[in-house]
Amino acid sequence: MNLLAIESATALVGAALLADGGSAAERSHQQGRMHAESLAPAIEEVCALSGITVRDVQAIAVDVGPGLFTGLRVGVATAKALAQGLGIGVLAVSSLDILAAGAMAEAGSDEARTVVAVVDARRGEVFTSRYRFDGAAPGPGQILDPAPGRLSPPQLVTPDVLIRSLVEMDAGPADRVLIVGDGAVRYRHRLADARAGDLDLVERVSSPSPLTLARLARRRLDAGAELAPAAEVVPDYRREADARINWEQRIPPTGTSVRARER
Amino acid sequence: MAPDPIPGIHRVLGIETSCDETAAAVVDDGAHIASSVVSSQIDLHARYGGVVPELAGRAHVELLTPVVADALDAAGSDTAGAGIDGVAVTYGPGLIGSLLVGVAEAKALALAWDVPVVGVNHLEAHLFASLLEQPDLGWPLVVLLVSGGHTLLVEVSAPGRYRLLGGTVDDAAGEAFDKVARYLGLGYPGGPAIDAIAEDGDPSAFAFPRAFLDDGYDFSFSGLKTSVVNTVRKHPEAATADVAASFRQAVVDVLVAKARRAAREVGAKALCLAGGVAANSLLRSRAQEACAEDGIGAFLPTRALCTDNAAMVAAAGWWRLANVGPSPLTLGADPNLRLVPTA
Ligand SMILES: [Zn+2]
Repeated sequence: MNLLAIESATALVGAALLADGGSAAERSHQQGRMHAESLAPAIEEVCALSGITVRDVQAIAVDVGPGLFTGLRVGVATAKALAQGLGIGVLAVSSLDILAAGAMAEAGSDEARTVVAVVDARRGEVFTSRYRFDGAAPGPGQILDPAPGRLSPPQLVTPDVLIRSLVEMDAGPADRVLIVGDGAVRYRHRLADARAGDLDLVERVSSPSPLTLARLARRRLDAGAELAPAAEVVPDYRREADARINWEQRIPPTGTSVRARER
Repeated sequence: MAPDPIPGIHRVLGIETSCDETAAAVVDDGAHIASSVVSSQIDLHARYGGVVPELAGRAHVELLTPVVADALDAAGSDTAGAGIDGVAVTYGPGLIGSLLVGVAEAKALALAWDVPVVGVNHLEAHLFASLLEQPDLGWPLVVLLVSGGHTLLVEVSAPGRYRLLGGTVDDAAGEAFDKVARYLGLGYPGGPAIDAIAEDGDPSAFAFPRAFLDDGYDFSFSGLKTSVVNTVRKHPEAATADVAASFRQAVVDVLVAKARRAAREVGAKALCLAGGVAANSLLRSRAQEACAEDGIGAFLPTRALCTDNAAMVAAAGWWRLANVGPSPLTLGADPNLRLVPTA
C-alpha cells in the first residue's frame, strides 16, 4: 500500500511516502509560516522520488495536532482534499504520539523509558502527554506505537504545571525520562531544573517528522486500524477558539488618494 | 518563469473561503453556472457582531469537504474530478487563516486530479460576477464593489483589464453598516437589519456627513459612524428607524454620486453593482434611477451573485487559465492582495 504522510502541526512542514515496494521518501522544510506554500510541492516530490504519481497513493496519514492552528488546518485540509479527490481514506495521528515514537526511535536502548512529549502552544502554554515504554527498543527504521503506553491524554497546561508534574513524577529507580518536542526545547532550562539527573532532552526531534508519522501510521494500519472518510477528519485543537473580532485583521483600506496614504 | 495560457479549458471548479462563506461551484467556459453551493457561517458569528477569524477558519475546514462534494455532484461531475479541467481558488484578500484552507484544498484537489490550479483575486472575482449573469453589457463598465470587506470603484475596459478609480480610506461600506447596526442593537449582519428598519424611518431626520461627496473617487465612512454615535448620545429619544434611515441615505448618496460621476467620466456603457451591500434595496433603486437618467445600463446582480460565492471565482479562474496561465503549486495566500491595474 502506497502510504502518504502529511505533517504541518508545528514549525516543520513536509510529506513522506512509504511505497508498496518498501522504499521510503521524505521532504520537509523548517520554515515556520510557509506551510501553505511548501506542503503541496513536498507531496509531489515524495511521490516522484518513489517513482509513483499522486494518483497511485492509496492511504493518507495526517498529523491532526495538537499544534499551531493555521498549520494544522493547512495539513488537515490538504489531507482531506487529497483523500476526497483520490477516493481513499485518512488515518488521523496525534502530534504528541509522533513525537514520542520519534524520541524512542532516536534513543534506541532497551531500558524502560518514560517519554514526555511537549508541543509549544504559544501564549505561555504547552500541549503535553506522557508515555511509558517497556521492553525492547525499536530496530533501525522501526517504530513503536506509543499509544498503548500513553499515561495521560493530551493536555493544555502552563510550563509551571508541567514542571510540577515532572517534579512529582515517580519514574522508577532505573528509569530515564525522555522529554521531546518544541515545547521542551523552548522551556529546556526550567524543565532541566525540575529533575536533576534523569531527564534527557531529545534534541534531534523537536518537531514531529513526516517519516515517523508514516511509519507509525503503517504500524497502526498493519495492526488493524481503519482509515476514516475524508469528511470525518478534523484537527485536534485542544484549545477554545479566540472569539475576538479583530477589525484590524480585516481587509485594509483601498483608498487611492493622498489623504489615504497620509493616514 | 511566466505561465502559459492553457487552451481547451472548459469546466472549472471554484473554491471560495476568504471570509465567512464556505463556497464551491462548477462553471463551464467561464459563463455557465453548472452548480454553486454556499454554506454561510452567519449564525456562527452572529452573537459576536462580526466575523471571528479563528471560528471562520475552523468552520471552513469542516464545511469544505461536503460543500465541494455537493458542488461536483450537482454539476454532474464527481469527486474523482470527472470532466474538471482546472481548479480556481481565492487566494486574497481576506482572512489569512480562512484563505489558507481554500488554497490547501484547491492545490490538493489539483494534485489528485492532475489538473492545473489557479489563484484568483477575490476582488477580480466580484468583477466577473456581473459577467456571469449578463455577459453582453458592453465595454467599458464601471463596477461599484461594496461589501463588508471592500469598497471599490473600478473601471473594467475588458475582462482582465482594470483601473482602480477609488476605494475607502477607512471602513468598508458593509463594515460601517455592521458597526452602526451593532451600536443601534439591530444585530448582525448589519446591512439587511438596517435596510429593514430604515424602511419605516425618515431619511431626512438627521443630516449625517457625506464625506468627499464631490471630491475624487475615494470613500470614508468612519466619520459617518462617529456622527451616528454622537447623534444618538445627544438625542437618546431619537427613533432608531429615523437614525437608520438617515444613515443609510448618507451612505447610498455618496456611493451613487461617485459611481455615477465615474461612469460619466470614463464613458461607461453600464454601471454594475457587486458585493454584499449591492443587495441593499435603497442602493439598488437609486443606482437604477441614476443610470436611467444618464442613459446607461444598470446591472444589479441577484443577491446570490452579489454576496461571496465560488461561481465568480470559477469564472475569473477560467479566464485566467485560458488567458494568463496556471499558478505554481507553491501558491500561498495574500491577505492584503490588491487589484492590480492592468488597463
Ligand atoms: Zn467579497
